[in-house]
Amino acid sequence: MKGLFLRIFYFLIVRPILTLIIGVRFRNRGIMKGINQFIMVGNHNSHFDSVALMAALPGKMLMNTHMVAANDYFGKSSRSKFFMNLFFNSILIRRQREEGAPSAIGVLDEYLKQGKSLILFPEGTRGEPGMISDFKKGVAILLQRNPQIPFIPVYLNGFGRVLPKDTFLIIPLVCKIRFGQPRHPGPHDIDTILEMVKEDILSLKHEDEKDRNQFRFE
Amino acid sequence: MSIQDYHIAKELVYILIGVFSVLTICSIAFSLMHKRNPSDSNKELVLRTRSWWFIALGLCLVILAPPIFGTILIAYISFVALREMFSISGMRESDRVAMFVAYFAIPIQYYLAYKMYFTQFLAFIPLGMFMLISFVLVMGGNTAKIGRSMPLIPTLLMLTTYMLSHIVLLFNVEVSDFEVGAGGLIFYLVAITSFNDVFQFVWGKALGKRKILPTVSPNKTWAGFVGGVLTTAVFSYCIRFLTPLADWEALVTGLILGVMGFFGDSLVSAVKRDLQLKDTDDLIPGHGGAMDRLDSILITAPVFFHLLTFFT
Repeated sequence: MKGLFLRIFYFLIVRPILTLIIGVRFRNRGIMKGINQFIMVGNHNSHFDSVALMAALPGKMLMNTHMVAANDYFGKSSRSKFFMNLFFNSILIRRQREEGAPSAIGVLDEYLKQGKSLILFPEGTRGEPGMISDFKKGVAILLQRNPQIPFIPVYLNGFGRVLPKDTFLIIPLVCKIRFGQPRHPGPHDIDTILEMVKEDILSLKHEDEKDRNQFRFE
Repeated sequence: MSIQDYHIAKELVYILIGVFSVLTICSIAFSLMHKRNPSDSNKELVLRTRSWWFIALGLCLVILAPPIFGTILIAYISFVALREMFSISGMRESDRVAMFVAYFAIPIQYYLAYKMYFTQFLAFIPLGMFMLISFVLVMGGNTAKIGRSMPLIPTLLMLTTYMLSHIVLLFNVEVSDFEVGAGGLIFYLVAITSFNDVFQFVWGKALGKRKILPTVSPNKTWAGFVGGVLTTAVFSYCIRFLTPLADWEALVTGLILGVMGFFGDSLVSAVKRDLQLKDTDDLIPGHGGAMDRLDSILITAPVFFHLLTFFT
């Protein structure tokens, strides 16, 4: 039931608004064909990133994909929790470790063991537009523990202009989501895997800048 | 001829059948060429023809369907063009509210055009939005580079919306003893503008030597310009049955629209050169962005409207 709701919501409402009004362009969305489980990692500039990534998923993946979000930000009110769960299947995790509470990595690992896919932003928070800040190690630990699951690098360009931090006014401006080839990191140590993930996203950024049309954001 | 008595003229039907036959032949020929010799230039031809199909279908909607559909479609095209220009022009974070206001002006401007509130139509963007946008920018409080945003946002709104919305006015032009109607006028405008681009390109390729604007657009030559404009005038004379224009009026209109088309093309080229872009976007495969395709018609649309009302 919820799967059907999400399909209708994202295909008939969100995607037309994103492409026709906001001006979102999906690049290489085809790479998701035939992949059943993944960890999607991208740079993070805007709340809009999450909406656009969910809208890019194939219909049958919507139910099994979970957005990883910060509990201290989105778990503040029960209404926010409800909507995050409804639209993003979100898993709210604690950014700061607390005594006695289950570790965030453990929770996410559990989801992966159940065959679910994750979308996460390893920067941990929304950064400056066009910049990629340091990655948190969690994603590398998850990939190391689950070598059968590939990661899909994503570069999001321009969303920080559509909806920047600290504002609610959405402005239509052309922005792009570029998907990279899914990749199994293989048996390496955590720092190497993390470097691999970051490099893949940076190379997508580079590819995006080489695109014959380059958007200019000050 | 007004919005109330809406009908489809037989001249239009014949000419549209012609357009679609040419497109069908082109599509088949180019895909055969691509199949035999899959090169980049052939692929580009196939993509371009496919995009022309969409443009032709959009044009069909504008000239055949009741005017409200065409008005909405052209308003949406204005929106896409404005969004494109905002995306590439390096706007400031503090311009966001002003950009939002500018987007909002589009439906209002097209409403004024559709309802033929002519005085308000003429004044709304150049006067009203010019002041409102400056006011919003000032209220935003960030004065760094405000001197750039203050003229830039209204200018982009003028180019993408004010100019293009003159096409909608053609739905409301009242001419006695003219049976073809608004569809003919709009088809004439689009045909003259697009073929002018083609003529200038072909003459430039064939004979072009001396560059006309070397720092703006190195591909444009004097031969292309003169040859193109003259050919456009003759072409305008040939399809004058779509308009209420008399023989010499059609020639003059063709000449002026040819020059204006050249101007629009160079204008967008100059902006792109400043921003160091090849295309304004990659929205239309084989063509670039909406502004790359609209460049000439932005200038020819208002000029044609005023020539038409002057002559008739």
